[in-house]
Amino acid sequence: MEPILKTENLWKVYRTGKMDVPALRGVSISILPGEFVSIMGPSGCGKSTLLHVIGGLAQATSGRVLLDGNDLTTMNDAARTLLRRHKVGFVFQRFNLLPTLDTYHNIVLAQHIHGNGFDPHRFEAVANLLGLSERLHHKPSELSGGEQQRVALARAIISEPKIVLADEPTGNLDTKSSATVLALLRQLNKDLGQTIVMITHNPDAATYGDRVLHMRDGLVVDGSAAQS
Amino acid sequence: MIVQNVLHRPVRTAITLIGVAVEVTLVIIVVGLTSGLLTETAKRTEGVGADVMVQPPSASIFMAFSGAPMPIAIGAKLEELEYVQSVAPVLVQFNSVNGLDIVYGIQPESFRSVSGGFVVYSGTELQDPNDILIDDVYARAKKVRVGQTLHILEHDFHVAGIVEHGKGARLFVLMSTLQEMSGAHDKASVFFIKCDRSDHTAAVTDEISGLLPRYEIRALKDYISLMTSSNLPGLGAFINVMISIAVAIGFLVTFLSMYTTIIERTREIGVLKSLGASKSYIVQIILSETTLLCFTGAVGGVGLSYLMRTIVLRIFPSLTILITLKWIALAGLIAVAGGLLGATYPAWLASRKDPVEALSYD
Repeated sequence: MEPILKTENLWKVYRTGKMDVPALRGVSISILPGEFVSIMGPSGCGKSTLLHVIGGLAQATSGRVLLDGNDLTTMNDAARTLLRRHKVGFVFQRFNLLPTLDTYHNIVLAQHIHGNGFDPHRFEAVANLLGLSERLHHKPSELSGGEQQRVALARAIISEPKIVLADEPTGNLDTKSSATVLALLRQLNKDLGQTIVMITHNPDAATYGDRVLHMRDGLVVDGSAAQS
Repeated sequence: MIVQNVLHRPVRTAITLIGVAVEVTLVIIVVGLTSGLLTETAKRTEGVGADVMVQPPSASIFMAFSGAPMPIAIGAKLEELEYVQSVAPVLVQFNSVNGLDIVYGIQPESFRSVSGGFVVYSGTELQDPNDILIDDVYARAKKVRVGQTLHILEHDFHVAGIVEHGKGARLFVLMSTLQEMSGAHDKASVFFIKCDRSDHTAAVTDEISGLLPRYEIRALKDYISLMTSSNLPGLGAFINVMISIAVAIGFLVTFLSMYTTIIERTREIGVLKSLGASKSYIVQIILSETTLLCFTGAVGGVGLSYLMRTIVLRIFPSLTILITLKWIALAGLIAVAGGLLGATYPAWLASRKDPVEALSYD
């Protein structure tokens, strides 16, 4: 089976003043369609940078990123924007919902940007799956952390992306809400075959994935099956 | 999303709306005041009832700014022309004490023969050398009554009567008195000529042109069309400067407002980018918000203009502020265009934000 995401000797170097600071030092990973992969590692090891580069938010310094057959490293900003729109869904630690919009409009916004128009059946299915049907007209400030993250999850998957990239999705949640969100991610993966890459500090959260990649100093140092 | 964003920050929205409304009000009131004054002056001059007016060579259509009076003897020659029914010489003085007013020095009989005479609301017509007639608008604005003393042109006049407005000036004194005061003996600033039939106006104009080459000879029916800001030296420039100031206010208010909003919403812009929003999509959001703000502000500005006009006219009843649909539309367009110009840089800045930096913005 062809991997949905593949990186080859991926480097990302930030320039701070006159100093070059490498965040990724030749990362090579491969993720198959339908996989749920957790990435763990200490702060500053390059997890978030890796997520940003494979999601097309940041440009790699060298190496290759192949996402559904498209090489992100050869793309300009506009092409990467287009690719994000159609193939990537993001979930962030801080939820990042638009505070002026209610649940309904936060989710629909993604469809609007996607450009395929509003699909009521897809919307209803996603809202029901994530238990948001009763909270559609509430603004983020009126929702709990767990509910906000479920809205963010709905926004990420509403346009049926090839891959969902979740950056510490439970980092701002209590234990109960974390378990709910992780279970939903697992359910999306199992039931819908959604490919998910999740960054986490939490070893328990990492076990929800099929396998865990460990990063240190900008490198993947270990990849093993998750111990659940 | 546009409406929600605008409503979500009520203080910023209110400040922007006020800025745009002030811009629109400034444009409408400045233009309305100048064009109102011009139109009102033209109508009053037309209201004299003459068919033709004769002024000295190179005289301005704004009689208050014309010196160089003509010999009054010209009037006798004009009366001899075919089709001329009557001629009224008028000496015009500009009064700047207690306001800005034009004073007509008239010969009551000749002025009556051309204009059909005053409608006297109270008092009498001019009789004594120190008498002055005031029109009802002036009387109301200055709260002057018959019998009072009116100090204008460094002279104390006795208010002999209050007459209906619309006969050229708001203040009328005897020509001989005004000639004495200004040292313009046997001189007049303008001759108003009444033809025996109005369709003889062109013939009379031609006759006078032959008699008095180089003199300014104008048919009164054309007078209103000549009373524009472009015919008054400096007025057009003044209006342009005021409009530029108004546009600058709108531009700066919108620029600061939208610049602030994109700083506040840096993280939101990062989110939109993560969802795949293009640069043009983000620019469109910022400019749509600007358009909504400017349009709403412009509507408020039109309302504010009418309110200002009501207040100004209550305080200064002799003023005229002409608010026209043309200038309402133009002021609105200026506000929206200026606002969009002001929002262009913030919108461009927002569209170029790095998504990773934007997402980590606190």
